Amino acid sequence: MSIKIALAGNPNCGKTTLFNELTGSSQYVGNWPGVTVEKKDGLLKGHKDVIIQDLPGIYSLSPYTLEEKVARNYLVNDRPDVILNIIDGTNLERNLYLTTQLAELGIPMVLAVNMMDLVKKSGDHINLQKLSELLHCEVVEISALHGTNCRKAAELAIAQAGRTVDEHAHVFTGSVEHALAHIEESVYNMVKPELLRWYAIKIFERDEEMASQVHLSQQLHDHLEAHIKDCEKEMDDDAESIIINQRYEYITRIIDQILTRGKQLHSMTLSDKIDSVVTNRVLALPIFFIIMTLVYYISVTTIGGWATDWTNDVFFGEIVNDAATSFLASIQAPDWLSGLIVDGIIGGVGTVLGFVPQILLIFFFMSLLEDSGYMARVAFIMDRIFRRFGLSGKSFIPILVGMGCGVPAVMATRTIENERDRRMTIMLCTFIPCSAKAVIISMITSTFFPDSIFLAPAMYFLGIAVIVLSGIALKKTHLFSGDPAPFVMELPAYHIPSMKGVLIHMWERARGFIIKAGTIIFTACVIIWFFSTFNAHLEMVDIENSMMAFFGNAISWVFAPLGLGSWKGAVAVISAEMAKENAIGTLAVLNGITSDADEAVMAGIAGMFTPLAAMSYMILNLFDPPCVVAMATIAREMGDRKWAAVAILFQVAIGYSMALVTYQLGGWLFYGMPFGLGQGVAIVLCLAALYFILRPAPHDKASNETREGAAA
Amino acid sequence: MMPLTMARTGEKVIIRKISGNDDIRRHLATLGFVVDTMILVVSQMAGNLIVEVKGSRVALDKSMARRIFI
Repeated sequence: MSIKIALAGNPNCGKTTLFNELTGSSQYVGNWPGVTVEKKDGLLKGHKDVIIQDLPGIYSLSPYTLEEKVARNYLVNDRPDVILNIIDGTNLERNLYLTTQLAELGIPMVLAVNMMDLVKKSGDHINLQKLSELLHCEVVEISALHGTNCRKAAELAIAQAGRTVDEHAHVFTGSVEHALAHIEESVYNMVKPELLRWYAIKIFERDEEMASQVHLSQQLHDHLEAHIKDCEKEMDDDAESIIINQRYEYITRIIDQILTRGKQLHSMTLSDKIDSVVTNRVLALPIFFIIMTLVYYISVTTIGGWATDWTNDVFFGEIVNDAATSFLASIQAPDWLSGLIVDGIIGGVGTVLGFVPQILLIFFFMSLLEDSGYMARVAFIMDRIFRRFGLSGKSFIPILVGMGCGVPAVMATRTIENERDRRMTIMLCTFIPCSAKAVIISMITSTFFPDSIFLAPAMYFLGIAVIVLSGIALKKTHLFSGDPAPFVMELPAYHIPSMKGVLIHMWERARGFIIKAGTIIFTACVIIWFFSTFNAHLEMVDIENSMMAFFGNAISWVFAPLGLGSWKGAVAVISAEMAKENAIGTLAVLNGITSDADEAVMAGIAGMFTPLAAMSYMILNLFDPPCVVAMATIAREMGDRKWAAVAILFQVAIGYSMALVTYQLGGWLFYGMPFGLGQGVAIVLCLAALYFILRPAPHDKASNETREGAAA
Repeated sequence: MMPLTMARTGEKVIIRKISGNDDIRRHLATLGFVVDTMILVVSQMAGNLIVEVKGSRVALDKSMARRIFI
């Protein structure tokens, strides 16, 4: 029979690092709380029958956020065989708070005290032997990062699995313990014996969700309620606070016995000193903008740009292309086959793969910033600004994740407690350019605006602006009205990122990109090549007479107002909805780019778009709905078809309108287009946007509606 | 008693009272914000704070800091 070991602990205490160490997988680890939002399973290395389960990080078993509910329901209802509780040794007090609650579940538990190297470095000493005696469970010192003792922790857990827990730590005292014992007696036959203490405390705390699982009769409920009230009166506090306070008192007693402090409590650490600079009222934003611009300058404009040029011009342009061409000639391949391989595959997939160096560099810097702990501060810095627009700083984390990929970004919204804030963040977080959109940005900027250093970062700031302005406008609709939930977030300590960790993260994210190039983009390129090479009678024809031209022409009127008059643009936009990289890959195939040299792709694209139309094409692709995978994730996370439809339609409207305004007004103002219907529509759209952003919030209406709802 | 928003950077203060609805109080408690706990104000930015509480750093916005009295 298999053994299930659940890894539980506070956010950012190293659960996922330990999980990776034990299972040999490489789940994403980040230096901010809330990276793991779903339970993940893996097999212990070398054991076919031991399942390790990584739970989301939680501070307590009283659920506040969605991820806390996931962990709590799992522990109470599904009951793993043993809990491996990971504790951050540098922060015993807060971590033991969860431990006291886990101990009440009646599941055998092993404590793994992590980050002991840091504890020793700070001069503190923890008496683990004593801790083990006090808590009645095995305690082991580990370093998840360096892999020390992880195996031993797992083995201890296996040894404990399935054991009955008969000893409880004495957390509560005096009349509280008395009341709890009384509740236990009263519900003795109504719950599983191992969960007796757990339910007793939950009934005492008046945790409705848990208490309702006990099915108390009204009479018993009233009887117990009287006891709880007596206790509250005696302690002069409400039941929930009594429990919380006694837990902390108990922990303080433990800490006094096991911890010898090397340094004074409440002293400013190096982390604090860094924080006083980077979260400084004046310097915070300039520092953030400088860092982001620097990251994109290095990874898109300079080093990344050179590397991409080399990959496109030399690697794919000469080496791969020449090899393929001469090989195909040597085996006397038919025209259609060399067309498929050279035009369809090397042209399309190669163009996208050319961006791998840039993507790697962007991810490298992002991982570096995350690992160091700076990204968590960014959420805090941004909160001040985001709050004005009706979003909280927590919405910024999904947006940051969104720079990598929209799918994890939408998932990361689960750390947002407030349902309304969460829905809005799901709707908006994909407006930040993801790694695939970065390909569009760098291709368009390097082709049409090669001298501009600022255009590429500007697209990111435009993304933020769209999110912020949409936030303001949406907050004023009745769907989203109301203040955002208050912001509270634990900030991890700064540390020097380990090169191994950063490289693993970089590779993990980039791998997705490369795999996509090999699968979805490959398929799309082959399909597009097929339809653009053959006509309906399966004869090889000029692209202008192909099936693709026929489809494209049929829908190109939709995109004509955006300046994408040619059918190729229309096809590329549709194809980009499969994967955003296709926005470039498709253009490469449609323009029959064979050499794959950067200049050739550029020349092909430059020939079909004016700079203005290219800008409009880029903006449409950046701000219309993300790829199908991300859209599916949006639908799933919204948990409701109506909301998913609202989100996608909103994105269609925003993307289309922005591209239209760019093309029509840009043409009129800078390229001497006459003022006409298009310009009129664009101005109306701008005014409508301004109206929705600037109108006073009709909050009275919202409260009236709820009142009417209540009356009905 | 005064709200935590009034504390200055570098100041050590003791929590006297926490107000607000149960959900928020509970969440603050799980992070270590309970009555009689000493906290250190690490950084301040327009009413938003970073404080050290029970050995960890927690960022709070103004509306949250207003609920904590010192």
